[in-house]
Amino acid sequence: MQRGHLHPISSLIREANAIFYKMGFTIAEGPLLESEWYNFDALNVPTDHPARDMQDTFYIKDEPGYVLRTHTSGVQIRYMTEQMKKGILPPYRIIAPGKCFRNEATDITHEAEFFQIEGLAVGEDISLAHLKGTFAGFFSEIFKGQVDIRFRPSYFPFTEPSIEVDMRLTSKTAPEKLRDKWIEIGGAGMIHPKVLENCGVDSKKYQGYAFGPGLDRIAMLKWGIDDIRLMHSADLRFINQF
Amino acid sequence: MLISRLWLQKFFDKPLPDAQALADALTLHAFEIESVKAEILDVKVTANRGHDCLSHRGIAKELSAILNITLAKDPLLKKEAAAFKKAQNLNVSIENPILCSRYIAVRITGVKVGQSPDWLRIHLESVGQKSINNVVDAANFVMLNIGQPMHVFDASKLTAKDGRLHIGIRNAKANEKIETLDGKTYSLTDSNLTIVDRNSNAILAIAGIKGGKSAEVGETTTDVILESANFDGIAVRKASQALKLRTDASIRFEQILSPVLAEFGMHDCVELILKIAGGEAEGFVDEYSEKQKDRAVSITTSEVNRTLGTEFKERGIADTFTRLGFPFELNNGTFAVTPPFERLDLNIPADLTEEIGRIAGYQKIAEVALPIFPKAVDINKNFYTAEHVREKLISIGYSEVYTSIFSDKGERAVINKVGGERPYLRSSLLDGLTEAVEKNARNKDILGVQEVKLFEIGSIWDAGKEEIVVGIAGEHEEPSELPLSKYSLELSEPKSYEDYPISKTESYRSFARFPFIVRDIALWVPVITEANQVEKVIKDNAGGLIIRLELFDRFEKGSKVSFAFRLVFQSAERTLTDDEANTIMENIYAAAKKKGWEVR
Repeated sequence: MQRGHLHPISSLIREANAIFYKMGFTIAEGPLLESEWYNFDALNVPTDHPARDMQDTFYIKDEPGYVLRTHTSGVQIRYMTEQMKKGILPPYRIIAPGKCFRNEATDITHEAEFFQIEGLAVGEDISLAHLKGTFAGFFSEIFKGQVDIRFRPSYFPFTEPSIEVDMRLTSKTAPEKLRDKWIEIGGAGMIHPKVLENCGVDSKKYQGYAFGPGLDRIAMLKWGIDDIRLMHSADLRFINQF
Repeated sequence: MLISRLWLQKFFDKPLPDAQALADALTLHAFEIESVKAEILDVKVTANRGHDCLSHRGIAKELSAILNITLAKDPLLKKEAAAFKKAQNLNVSIENPILCSRYIAVRITGVKVGQSPDWLRIHLESVGQKSINNVVDAANFVMLNIGQPMHVFDASKLTAKDGRLHIGIRNAKANEKIETLDGKTYSLTDSNLTIVDRNSNAILAIAGIKGGKSAEVGETTTDVILESANFDGIAVRKASQALKLRTDASIRFEQILSPVLAEFGMHDCVELILKIAGGEAEGFVDEYSEKQKDRAVSITTSEVNRTLGTEFKERGIADTFTRLGFPFELNNGTFAVTPPFERLDLNIPADLTEEIGRIAGYQKIAEVALPIFPKAVDINKNFYTAEHVREKLISIGYSEVYTSIFSDKGERAVINKVGGERPYLRSSLLDGLTEAVEKNARNKDILGVQEVKLFEIGSIWDAGKEEIVVGIAGEHEEPSELPLSKYSLELSEPKSYEDYPISKTESYRSFARFPFIVRDIALWVPVITEANQVEKVIKDNAGGLIIRLELFDRFEKGSKVSFAFRLVFQSAERTLTDDEANTIMENIYAAAKKKGWEVR
């Protein structure tokens, strides 16, 4: 019997889980149809923030207060709130890979449905230096070779400081298209104190980082995939290559 | 936002580095740069810095801190809320101070409207603005220079009562209309804030968004009213969206500006107009009831280092604050910082940590491995089960797909899908999977598979809830689906994840999307002839368009054997014609005959 093929996103999630599991991360989950509390409010996104505009977010008919999640960040809130309710204090380490939605027209780099991998590490002394170490470790395994990590300033309501993370593949075995170039891989930062407080976590005692790179983009970089829409194409001319 | 290096230079005595170097400095320490063209940078100011950075002064201030070069001329420091001489013949009434926290107006008489001086015209044009006339250009320049939107009205178009003019700021009434400066007419609603002539009740401008045609400043204008105001950001954003009218002014007000900025805008603009258009400022009105208060934000050196994972010293932090122009007091290791009025983004200690991190440079942060996690790492049962199911299905020939969650039917729908197609959330995976099987079945010849068999693990919305299900479908089977939780029940509590294989593929190769053509060929050859010999002859004579060649039948009869091959032709550039395929086949037949083989 000839084996079937694993979707590249599933392969990437499988690999990511194996890498993060070794670093102490567990997988956490949340629904795709999410309340505005988890998707926006608890994440310190103000009521009138442009991100909530109708043109960016899918709202649900006859169910005010619900959206198709625009990011996996709501899982941070779900996980920490649940732990605190159970009386389990930090340290916490989770990843949350999953589907997200953005209400936009699609093209080769934009898709209304896409995959993100959320990550969160909370403890008494988890710092941006740990974030740099985590990214360097993760991406050097995913891209099989030495990786430099660079932070640039950015802004997200749910992190402070907020950063944009770039990587640079330096090993000779890296694909030539990617080698020695800074490539943007996603947003991250230190969890905003208000976000911790919204989950009942003492922000004076605990701090931590969060990140949320797009998995489609990582897959596209890793395998040189030229069109994000292939991910949801269900086309075996694509999937059978993996 | 377009920023000119030459314009930035006006703030410094020392020569600035070249545009690319400025772009690099901003990229690593402040904002992304969309492009650098000659002396012009396109800066993507983040949403938290619209308060202070949508201007040349804002970017100059950033560069001053980043490059550690003194801002020789800071227009926001030069005057201590200089005394405004009170106007005798001008009134301002604000209906709702929540929507308009400050309104400064001045009447200037005897201006001479004409062309702008070259330096002004060149500066404006360098950042893509059109020069209109000296008075309007002065207002525009101040906005682009320090970030305060300004507006100028022709005072003679307003109605005087007892020799006094009266500006009002009120919400429009439903169906009031305005013709704006660009000649378009907008119907307003009661949520649109407007500037009106109180004496005639005529609408002069849509507050913070665009001026009206009725009080336009033109060549014959001699008396003007200059406005420097502060409008509520959220109200401006909503009005601008509803009217589909975004302007340089509305973009700035949307980001929320400090009401203090208005007085600097007014001073700079009056000064510039008097200089380049003459006239006399007759006195100001400044309606400003709820004053912005100073606030202190405190942080310690150890807090900074704990968050960033750095080893900054007190002196280094003090130096960073000084470079940023933040007044601070240092007591027993605690910095109490009073943010400058325009920095509305600085409110909590973490905001200061970010300032130190980005100005000192995130490259100073080392890569540190996480400490060992002190607890057992939970195994996620859903993920464990999904992985188990994936492996099981793949091992019996099913391939995994992801299909869209949107459908043309279902229990729930989104209200605002672009294009409006398939607004429902799927209540089953099977429609999507069945469609995918049909689509792939048509490509079987180029895929080289016997049978298309697919599965998906994904969310559906059925019977009032969201659930993850496993769906399978194939060409020769009824599609079916089961909740993932059903599979989960059959598995015992996992202790660790299984080590299932990941893709070994190094890189993806894009496939041709043009239609392909299939041809079969069967040949009688001597029984001693191997299949690969026949295959080679076919390949050698098939040209560059053959993408697949497969032996699908073989049988012997006496001293001969029959081989049947399937050939698939496809071009990456165009749709092939039957004639082209026929020509290729003729070549192959001819080559076969030459070998003495018989075409069946």
